[in-house]
Amino acid sequence: MMQRNMISMPGRRFFLLGCAGLAGAMLRPPLAHADQAGDASQFIRQAGDQLLAVVNGPGSTAQQRPAMARIIDNVVDVNGVAKFCLGRFWRMATPAQQQQYVQLFHQVLVTSITGRIGEYRGVQFKILRAVPRADGTVVETELDRPNNPPTKVQWVVQKVNGSLRIVDVIAEGTSLRLTQRSDYASYLTRNQDSIPALIAAMQHQIQQNAG
Amino acid sequence: MPDAFRPTLLAALTLIGLLAGCAQKPPASDPAALAEYNDTNDPLEPTNRVFYAINNGLDTVILRPAAEAYRFAVPAPVRNSIHNILANAGTPVQLSNDMLEGKPRRAGDTTMRFLINSSVGLLGAFDVASKWGYPDHDADFGITLALWGVPQGPFLFLPLLGPSDPRDAIGFGVDNVMDPFTWLGQGAAVTAINWSRFGLNAIDQRERVLNAVDEIKKTALDPYATFRSLYRQHRQSQIETVRNDRRATIPIWFPQAVAAQQKQQQSQ
Repeated sequence: MMQRNMISMPGRRFFLLGCAGLAGAMLRPPLAHADQAGDASQFIRQAGDQLLAVVNGPGSTAQQRPAMARIIDNVVDVNGVAKFCLGRFWRMATPAQQQQYVQLFHQVLVTSITGRIGEYRGVQFKILRAVPRADGTVVETELDRPNNPPTKVQWVVQKVNGSLRIVDVIAEGTSLRLTQRSDYASYLTRNQDSIPALIAAMQHQIQQNAG
Repeated sequence: MPDAFRPTLLAALTLIGLLAGCAQKPPASDPAALAEYNDTNDPLEPTNRVFYAINNGLDTVILRPAAEAYRFAVPAPVRNSIHNILANAGTPVQLSNDMLEGKPRRAGDTTMRFLINSSVGLLGAFDVASKWGYPDHDADFGITLALWGVPQGPFLFLPLLGPSDPRDAIGFGVDNVMDPFTWLGQGAAVTAINWSRFGLNAIDQRERVLNAVDEIKKTALDPYATFRSLYRQHRQSQIETVRNDRRATIPIWFPQAVAAQQKQQQSQ
């Protein structure tokens, strides 16, 4: 109230102009963000529909595996996530070890996702909203599984080499890649920082969970 | 718990703690490792791992089979009703914490949930309130302390209770003191009620995470570290959810709210 009385007529005009300018300045980034958010939502919708078509489709889990691997390659930034999960140990690995690790990581990812297809039969999802962040866009979805309470899952989407890719999945507040990174970091710390030991453990794990 | 048993258990646990000792801190010459050590904030890791192993053993032989039997014997709708009744019985603690957090709208939600579910929901068996726009939410004294600015402290893996930290351990104790069931009085019936509630709660909670825990143990290279990370992230997200709940105190349908909003817009 005080402020309004203090501004005289010409002053008020400038004040209003200033406000309009400010509003214009504030409007522009949200518009760009709206585009970015819309693209990310669209991307997650398509990726989700593809995954659902496989999950709810015919065939045994073993038969679904190749289709699943193909979709994961197309929608997830597997290399980037793999590198993130190795954290400070990435630089300690030789190029050959890095390559072997990324390959194994890819298999672990596909195995762990296909291993859970059974749990997700009949799943439905809806997109709640998309929030732009400094490092990409977070798309919030709600998964509804039969006989389960609905769960909130957030997908972090980034532009990688010009196309949108999923870089993280946050379920009930827990980030998949952060959790995976702390798992690997702890394993390495307890095994004298030995990358070959990690690679051996990953191979062992893939063999165990393959059946 | 029999009185004679308690000191013995405590002594045994302390002994294990002393034997296990502290984690080796990396030297300053390795800054990346040191940063990771500080981030992990688990100086008691060797002791924690001992308790993790003990808990894991107890879980494998007692709690997990009990939860599996429960899932096998009791149909899902009945399990859901039992869960709802247990949640409803936790209302006093939840409501106290909503208020201590300074979140009146949450306290209102909890009150409405209690009134609706205790009556229309048949003593809490059916969660009608969620369908009527009063969803359940988390509230415990650990979260309250976090909102009051109390730091989390180092990671702790507690016997029987599992992953925790000093803040949540204190929170657990205070929640128990706040719980009217603790003060019901003495006698065989009261003891029986309290222990059944405790046991049923444990089995109910365990049953709800059967698949998730199995999956983590199967896929993690170091399940202890994975549970540590998940616990911390989950608590952090619970705390942030409460912190970011900034709904106005006056409900939007109340005439005063509209007037207040107009007044606010005018003053800007």
